[in-house]
Amino acid sequence: MGIRVNPNLYGIILSGLQTNTQLENQALQQVSSGQKLNSLSDDPAAASSLVNMRIESSSDAQYLQNISSLTGSLNVADSALSSVVEALTSAQSVGVEGANGTNNTSNRQALAQEVQGIQQEIMGLANTTYNGEYLFSGTATTTQPYVEDATSASGVTYKGNDSSNSVEISEGQAMPTSLPGSQLFSNPTTSVFQSLQDLYTALNSNGNISGATTEVQNALNYVSTQQTFYGNSVDRLNNAQTFLTQEQTQLTETEGNAVDVNMATAVTDLSQTVTTQQALLAAGGKISQLNLFDYLPSS
Amino acid sequence: MSSLFGTMSVALQSLLAQQGAMGVVANNIANSNTPGYSREVPVLQESPPTLMGNTMVGSGVNMSTVESVRDNILNLRIDQETSQQSSLGSYVNSMNQVQALFNETQGTGLQSYLSSFFNSFTSLSTDPTSSPLRQAALTAGENLAGAFSLTSQNLSTIQQGLDQSVVQTVQQVNQLTAQVANLNQQIKMISNSGESPGSLMDQRDEDLTNLSNLIDTAVVYSADGTASVTTTNGTLLVSGNQNDALTTQADSATGMHEILAQGTDITSSIAGGQLQGLIKARDSSIPSTQSSLDNLAAGLISAMNTQQNAGYNMNGGKGVDFFTPFTPTTAGSNAGAATTMTVALTDPSQIAASSDGTTGDNANATAMANLENQPIVSGQTPGAYYSNLINQVGNDVSNATSEQTAVGLVLQQLSNQQSSISGVSLDEEATNLVMYQRAYEASARVISVVDELVSTTIDMFTPS
Repeated sequence: MGIRVNPNLYGIILSGLQTNTQLENQALQQVSSGQKLNSLSDDPAAASSLVNMRIESSSDAQYLQNISSLTGSLNVADSALSSVVEALTSAQSVGVEGANGTNNTSNRQALAQEVQGIQQEIMGLANTTYNGEYLFSGTATTTQPYVEDATSASGVTYKGNDSSNSVEISEGQAMPTSLPGSQLFSNPTTSVFQSLQDLYTALNSNGNISGATTEVQNALNYVSTQQTFYGNSVDRLNNAQTFLTQEQTQLTETEGNAVDVNMATAVTDLSQTVTTQQALLAAGGKISQLNLFDYLPSS
Repeated sequence: MSSLFGTMSVALQSLLAQQGAMGVVANNIANSNTPGYSREVPVLQESPPTLMGNTMVGSGVNMSTVESVRDNILNLRIDQETSQQSSLGSYVNSMNQVQALFNETQGTGLQSYLSSFFNSFTSLSTDPTSSPLRQAALTAGENLAGAFSLTSQNLSTIQQGLDQSVVQTVQQVNQLTAQVANLNQQIKMISNSGESPGSLMDQRDEDLTNLSNLIDTAVVYSADGTASVTTTNGTLLVSGNQNDALTTQADSATGMHEILAQGTDITSSIAGGQLQGLIKARDSSIPSTQSSLDNLAAGLISAMNTQQNAGYNMNGGKGVDFFTPFTPTTAGSNAGAATTMTVALTDPSQIAASSDGTTGDNANATAMANLENQPIVSGQTPGAYYSNLINQVGNDVSNATSEQTAVGLVLQQLSNQQSSISGVSLDEEATNLVMYQRAYEASARVISVVDELVSTTIDMFTPS
């Protein structure tokens, strides 16, 4: 006699069908959602690195937003400083003209008036605001940095502070967003407002006009040098933006690899399970019809 | 030489035996689809021979008993594997609810709240005096606290649901052990009367399998046919016609029910069945997830508050706590930190973005944003800590699922083996039926032949 085999073929078919249905569900879920990672347990390591990647790409998105809002204020500050440089250039020309010995008193006074106008123009520029905040008052952005002050030798007083804010433009990379007016418009040897005040006084009193003009020239050079900070900063922002955009693209791609299903594979898997299912059902249909009783004569 | 009437009685015995055998076949066929049924075979035995002069002559056949074909060792192994599988199954079901709370694959988990929170401070650092940005940071903080609190409460709800299941499962265990004890008694009685208690044994097998679905069991069969049942760690469940009911009692500290056997807490020694899966999820995996969540919340609360206190608000005043400070109920434990997480600030101007009191200074806002990259939670950044938590939860489920698949395959093999021993084969029954039918017909023929012979003998003396 042979080995007795399991007569309950249905049980075998049934467990085959159950296993296969499970695979079919899985494949169907992947195809319909387009994701191979539908729950954490599908691939815990991938789910965990997905979290890390999403944190990173979310920070990148925020940095990019920071960059675009910083670019605005830096550009406004930069163009304000360009105007300051232009105004100082005019003041210098006025000084050169005033130093010419052919001028009489009233000519010089007219030139002095012109210098005073320039003084006011530059003060306006030094008090430039962006989004309602002063750009050149250090971190005291709600305080107007320069106010007229007759008691001061330079004719103005600086009310801002000497600090500046830094903002992160990519992870661990912080960039100062402005320079305080105290640094932009003066240093221990040169001062924009002092030089203009000196020129104004010299023209009015026919004093050392050419000396004052040189002072203005120095102030002009100084502000120009300081202005490069803004140009450089905008460049830095552009570089960071390029880097962040690339990193975001990279992250999106890696994220996709971790989460998204390979459609070709998923569809093949699905059709494979469907074929198996049909085969099992067909087999089930066949065995049900066969047993010895069918062949015994029913007398 | 045997007598004619002797031969007739041999044939009659045979008719009865074949009839009985056909009855067994009929019963097998009738139960061919009954779950847990083990096929039965009639045991036909030669009747003791009689001495005729000096010759031993066979005296026919009788059906001595009906034997149930079963392999108790195999059944025990099946019960053990069933126990394993149920344990894994109930664990996976429980933990699936848990992993659904951390739905990072759909991008709707805590990560988005964490990122938004820190990003809102990065954003604030670009314009620290902006009211909308301050409001956004405050709202992001409220959302984060809300998400922590909700996730933590949901975890507790799942845990409580599992606790109820534990209590219900213990009741089911008690019902089954009572049934087994009752069957033990009946089986013993029938065995004593010399009959085969096959169908009762089948019922008991079915009960034992159901029992092993609920709890790990070890079964020992005694000579009198009774089965004693213990857990694999030796807690007595059924002995003879007595069952020892398990009881449950809520733990005063955790509120979770412990399982008691004769007053002894056996909760942690249960090694299989749905109970084990439920207990593992309830007492180990969920508390561990909950405590990670609490650590993360406590780390965030404390670091944010420290940084807030180091800075100055919009009006130049000293910063105060951002989140409601967490006070542990037990020293050194962060239990409850996530559930109770709330924002303490009520006014956006209270956010201490400035580090020196200057309204427009952003250094403290930057410092708060940078907490995202600081090791503020058990020596890890919040993101790294959370991503480990995700990995842990995912692994808990995926390990149990693969184990479940492996046990399933073993179980399928064993069931197949059991079925090949105990399962009813209709082909086999048909063959047997024909065999017994032919023997019956032949015996009947013997009777009619003997009858003819007897008539012939009688007719010998009748004048024709």
